[in-house]
Amino acid sequence: MNDRIARSAIVTLAAVLAISAGFWLHPWNRNAGPAPDSGSVAPLIAASLPDLNGKSQALGQWRGRVMVVNFWATWCQPCLEEIPEFIRIQEEHGSRGLQFVGIAIDHADKVRDFAAKYKMNYPVLIGESDAIELARVAGNKLGGLPFTVLIDRNGQLIGTQLGRLNGEKLLGIVEPAM
Amino acid sequence: MNLHVAAKTFLAGLLVVACASGSLSLAAEEDLLAPEQAFRFSARLIKPGLVEVRYRIAQGYYMYRDKFRFAAIPQSIELGEAQFPPGDIHDDEFFGRVETFRGELIIKLPVKSGGAFTLKAVSQGCADVGVCYIPITQQARLVPARISGEASESDGKSSKLLLRLPDAFPNQ
Repeated sequence: MNDRIARSAIVTLAAVLAISAGFWLHPWNRNAGPAPDSGSVAPLIAASLPDLNGKSQALGQWRGRVMVVNFWATWCQPCLEEIPEFIRIQEEHGSRGLQFVGIAIDHADKVRDFAAKYKMNYPVLIGESDAIELARVAGNKLGGLPFTVLIDRNGQLIGTQLGRLNGEKLLGIVEPAM
Repeated sequence: MNLHVAAKTFLAGLLVVACASGSLSLAAEEDLLAPEQAFRFSARLIKPGLVEVRYRIAQGYYMYRDKFRFAAIPQSIELGEAQFPPGDIHDDEFFGRVETFRGELIIKLPVKSGGAFTLKAVSQGCADVGVCYIPITQQARLVPARISGEASESDGKSSKLLLRLPDAFPNQ
């Protein structure tokens, strides 16, 4: 009987370790180190896009901060789900040099309404096909949203994520860069 | 260690390898289909003045009804209102009432044209893993078959047979 319990414990432990290994070795984490194709965010950092008032904003103005550039849209439900958490993280970690920048592939009026309703506390820029191309160059080959690009203080790519990015994971990636 | 334990240990080891290779990850980018594969489009004329648009939606993907847009080229060709089958209705936290489609979707699209034209279809869909695609445009060239002089206008059945056309697949 005890032998059976011991065996079950071993198998359970092995399974837990296996699942943990799966998470830690996931491509997301493989991107966590210095990215080999860090040049691919250069066009993004060099870009200027209109803000919600139509004023052109250079992304280079946030150079020196750890940037979380989130491509999203109001028509994309998984994008909207992660924004409240982004707002909270900006609030909590902004003073430590973390800077979210949203790039909405959308109509400015819809984005303005959403940003006001959810009290978005970080800059949101409006992008069209030019912004889709910037995301593509940064690694978003399928043109999916949400797509998030993490950039260190020196303008080097430290990670990308297609699909929802939870706050814990995000902080795990950016923390060493802050 | 007896054989039984050894076998279990081996299986656990396999599980480690499977997880490490990312096969159990949820939203792994490499597992996502390109939008043209996730939402396979085709269109054909099923009778004079009626286009059948077909989307074969891959498992784990869905499309939004209110995002479909159709246009004909040349623009002088008039398209009627698209007729959709009933979809799945959801009450969405952000969007209110939304209608989505899964599996095979067949849309009937009236057209006032006797000649050949190009149908452009704009659509937008998402994957269940939590990724939405930007709207895509797919197109098909629709060419009516030569109508036999013997075809009877009043005989819907035979004229349908005579006008049966091959699928027109999109240029991608």
